[in-house]
Order: sequence, then structure tokens, then C-alpha cells
Amino acid sequence: MGIDHRKINRLLQKLRSHPYCVYAIETPHTGYLRSFRVKEGSEVQPGEILFLLERERNLKPVKSRVSGRVQRLRQDLLDRFVEAGEPILEIWHPLSQEEVISEILQEALQVLRAPETARYLPSPEIEARLRKDGPGKALVHPGEDLLIMTFMKRETPIRHEGPPAVIYRIFFDPQEVVPAGNPLLGLCSPEEVPYIDRVLARIREEWPEQ
Amino acid sequence: MKERLLIANRGEIALRIMEACEELGLDYVVVYTRADEESLHVRRARRKFRIADYRDPNEILAVADEAGCTAVHPGYGFLAEDFRFARRVVKRSRPLIFVGPRWEVIRDLGSKLNVKRLAREMGIPVIPGTTEPLYNEIEAEAKAEELFQWLVENGEPEPRLLIKASAGGGGMGIEEVRELDEVRPIFRRVRAYAKRLFGDEGVVIEAKLSCFQHLEVQLLGNQHGELVHFGTRNCTIQSPGRQKRVELAPGFDPAYLTYEFSPERVLEEIVNHSLKMAEAVGYDSVGTWEWLVTPEGRAYLMEVNTRIQVENEISARISRIRKRPVNLIREQIRMALGEKLGYTQRDITFQGTAIELRLVAEDTRRNFRPLSGTITRFQYPRYPWLTVRTHVPQDRPYTIPTEYDPNLALLIVWGENTPQALERARRALEEMILEGHTSGGGPLHSNVSYLWEKLKEVYRFPV
Repeated sequence: MGIDHRKINRLLQKLRSHPYCVYAIETPHTGYLRSFRVKEGSEVQPGEILFLLERERNLKPVKSRVSGRVQRLRQDLLDRFVEAGEPILEIWHPLSQEEVISEILQEALQVLRAPETARYLPSPEIEARLRKDGPGKALVHPGEDLLIMTFMKRETPIRHEGPPAVIYRIFFDPQEVVPAGNPLLGLCSPEEVPYIDRVLARIREEWPEQ
Repeated sequence: MKERLLIANRGEIALRIMEACEELGLDYVVVYTRADEESLHVRRARRKFRIADYRDPNEILAVADEAGCTAVHPGYGFLAEDFRFARRVVKRSRPLIFVGPRWEVIRDLGSKLNVKRLAREMGIPVIPGTTEPLYNEIEAEAKAEELFQWLVENGEPEPRLLIKASAGGGGMGIEEVRELDEVRPIFRRVRAYAKRLFGDEGVVIEAKLSCFQHLEVQLLGNQHGELVHFGTRNCTIQSPGRQKRVELAPGFDPAYLTYEFSPERVLEEIVNHSLKMAEAVGYDSVGTWEWLVTPEGRAYLMEVNTRIQVENEISARISRIRKRPVNLIREQIRMALGEKLGYTQRDITFQGTAIELRLVAEDTRRNFRPLSGTITRFQYPRYPWLTVRTHVPQDRPYTIPTEYDPNLALLIVWGENTPQALERARRALEEMILEGHTSGGGPLHSNVSYLWEKLKEVYRFPV
């Protein structure tokens, strides 16, 4: 069994000492920053409007995708024209049990990382298998197309090179561009599944859902 | 008021537009995305705005207003042939000048079927096929039978048809038919694909020419009804994905290679037909009429590109206006700002052969797979007969963005005749240095060897 419990313990310790993930909220496009709907230090929930951006006479409400506390709010940008990707505020998001599990799984599983900054989607066969069996059960065989990478206007298949493996975790969203090196899939051998399940059970116990 | 252009594009075309603006004494503003931060078009521009996407009209227009621009140059690709964008630019509450043809012209010539219809009405030859989208497989089969017969009568040894999604583009939704029995299943498949991808199940059928050369005619018109041409180009050498890689001007060189037909007659014919159609629609900017020419010297109009082309500079390089050099982007901007030509066709002369080589990060041995990675060393020779257009910096490593085509540079070579141009093109390729690594850590390949090899095939019909 290839799971390094000491490594997982170290990671858990680190997460306990800083149980936050800091999300930098940037402008999705250009426009005038018309108003803030939150204040420095306020607590926000997913879906809550953070600020309004006006472009071509359309007001776009920029909403929070996570819960947490608002920090580093750029009041100085109010009523100014801002470029796309301008940092506007930060949300200090307390890590949920599921997010901690995701972090741990990146250590415990054999992770397939994005070879290029590109969009990825499961191959049709794998998608059908995931739909039928679900992650944690869907099996991939050597030489099978695992993912399709959409890159520079071309689609390139990514094959599974190793022995038969279970797709235990999907780390990416097919709608979004994945930076090179980011995790795509977490794989393990069918024999390792019970061990991984046990590790997760331990985390669920130690890190109860808020 | 001094005009100020918003350059709604990236990379080398943005740089060429910047240069044209500087020559004309115009202000300009550039836009860029985060992926392009290291591009030379961003580093060289004084006024620049980061946007989310070059394809988003709202981004372009919001920046144009904020920067006080009076005109928008779309370059090529992205929004250049989007008539809705061109219409919005000129019809909004704060109208701007669109550097390109009138939006009605883009709309009418942007549809391949419409161009075919118009050409037939004017007696201009087009590749035989449907001029209306087909929705019915019985009609499709009848049309296919007629087209197979036409191909046989015209001596095609292996007649083939193409069934295409009428709303498609960029090589998507095209299937080949070898015999009549295949028409129905392929028609159904393409129709379903067209519905799924383009939301319109219209399908077109046309004869497939097995052997041809791809020629272009470069035109320039304006709102005063003036119209001239800047000769022809030959763009036959393309990658398997129908991407142009080596282009030459003029379209044929009878002094270099002879054919079974008179190349002078074919060139004259395609120039005249192109001018005739341009005049009929009141064409008012730079534009390219694309033609296919068979080994028997028959020419068929394929499509019209209502924008500046990547390869415009080889036409400019062989042209002179009253013995002065030509810049077609500068001419395009002048026409958009309402100026008159100030010369006639008789003032335009042609000299020599120009070749454009498109340097691309791609693995030509693995089906021209595009490559990403970092360029660590990029150097090219300096000669009066060579112009290199590139957005890749030479003084620092450059990571190729994965969001766009992996085009790195255009090498534009001029020679007094074709053999000299070819010799110089080979020399430029040999003396160029491109080093780097892929994101996987391997050496970064480019298509230099492929380009070198392909120079042997210029002006020849593909075997």
C-alpha cells in the first residue's frame, strides 16, 4: 500500500494551523466599478453580490462563489474604469470538510496533472462509465483514452498509461481552463480503494462539517 | 480632431497596425489579455488595456470609449468578419469608424452560398454544387448524381464530393463522398452534426477538385467608388488542417514554371472577375478573392475574405505605387478614414517575387500537433530583402500562450525573380535560430524543416 500516513498527518497539521483558503476576487471584464455591496470584514455566502461593474450601460453583479470574510477591499477603485483581471477584494474562506478531503486526496492518490494549460473533458467512454459507476468505482484500463485535451484549437486524447486503475476523484471543471500542472484526476489501484476510504473516514471524523 | 484607433487584435498583426498608425501620424490604443502580457504588441504600446477576451465586442467598445478612440481596427480573425460587430461599431450612440468594409458588404460576402449565388448571376465560375442549403436527402441524392456526372465529364479520375454543414467553417462539419450509395448516410450524419454544433441543419454539396492550386486576388476599394488590385498570390502550400504555410506573390510565375495553360490568361481572368464582383457590391476596403485553379487552367471562385489577410505583405512587397513602397494596412486605414486613393491602377507596378513563410510551433511529424512551451532563444538574420513580423521578444524567454494559434513569426522574403527569392528564403530559414522547451521539458519543435522542404514545391500542382 503506497499511502504515506506521515505525509498526510503533516498536511492535516498545516491545514489546521491555517484553515483558510484565500480567494482573490478580480474583475471578470473591463468597466466602471459602480458600487460595493459588502464592507471590509463582512461575512459573505455563495451567491451574494460583492460589487457592481458597469460596461456598455449594463450593470453586472459580481457574486461570491464561496463563503467567508471580506478582506483587502479596494475602495480606491470606486467609480473608476478598471481593466479585466483587476483584484478588487479577497475572501478568506474557512476550509470545508470536502475541501480538506480534496487536499488530502492530492497527496494520497496518484494524480494525473494537466500537461498544458487547456480545457479538459472526460473521453465519451469514461464519461459513460463515471455516470454509471461514479467516481471511486469507475475503472480505466491501460491504453484507454482517459481525457480529451482541447488545446490551441485542437483536440488531443490523453491515454491511461499505467495498470488498471480506479478514477477516485475528478479535480477539474470541464467548463474552465486548467493551468498546466494543476490536478485533473486522482487514480488508485482497485486494492487501494478501501485504504483511501478509511483515510477519508478519519478526516470526516477529525474535521467535522461546519 | 486627430483620429485614434483601437487595435482589437493581438500579436504580429497588432504590431503591423501600430506601425501603420505611426506612419500615418495617428494615435492608437491596444488591448491584450493576461495570456499575452509578454507579447511585443503589449510591450511596445504606450496606451494599453487588459481585457477578458479579444472576441468580446463589449470589451472592445468599452475600452474604445474609455480611451477616446474614434475608430476600431479588427485585424484578422476574432471580430474581423463579424458583420454584427461592424454594424454595432458604426450604429451605436457613440459611433466609431470600422476599419473594414461596410457591414452590409461583410454580411453579403461572408456567406459562401451567397457569394456563389452572386458569382453565378454574374457569370463568374464557381465550383459546381448547391447554392441553397439542402434539408432533404432525396434532393441531396439527386444533386450528388448530377455532380458526380460533372466530375466524370471533366476528366476527374476518382470523382469525389464534399458534404458540408452550410453554417460551418474552419474545416468543421465536412465529409467526403466517394459513391452515390454513401450520400444518404453521410448527409444524415452531417445534418445531425450541423444541428448539434451550429443550430442549423442546412447542408451543402459540392464537387471536390482532386488537384488544384489556391490563388488569391488582392483588392482595395473605397467609399468614393475607386477600386484597384495589387496582383495575385499563390497559397497552395498548406498543412493537412488547411492552414496556409508558404505563400507567394505573384500567383504564377511563367518565367519559373510553365503549365499546359497560359498562366497569364488565368491571372488576368481571376483579377477581372474579382474586380467585377467587387465593383458590383461597392467594395470599400481591402479584400481577398480566393480561387481554385485546375491543371487545365480552369479557375473557380471559392470565397471572399472581407478583411486584411495575414499574407497581405507579400502583395505589398512586389508592388510599387509610382515607384514608392506599398503598405496595404496603411491604405486600408486611409480608406476607412474617407481618403481618396490618390493613384490609379496604372500607377501600380509589380516587380519580383515575394515569399511568406509562416513559422509555427508545431510537430510536423505528428500530424502538425500544436506545441506550447517556452522559447529561450530566437534570432533571425537582418537583410534588406527580409522582413520578419513577430510578437515574440528576442531579449527574454517567451512562453507561448495556449489560448491562441501557435504562430511565432512571418518571414517575408523578396527576390528579383523566383529562383532568387527561393534561395533567399532558404538562407533565412538556415540562419534563423529558435530554441526552447515544451511544457513537458522536451525540445521545442517548429516547422522550419517542413518549410525548407516545401520550397521545392512552389508553383507546382500537388501530386
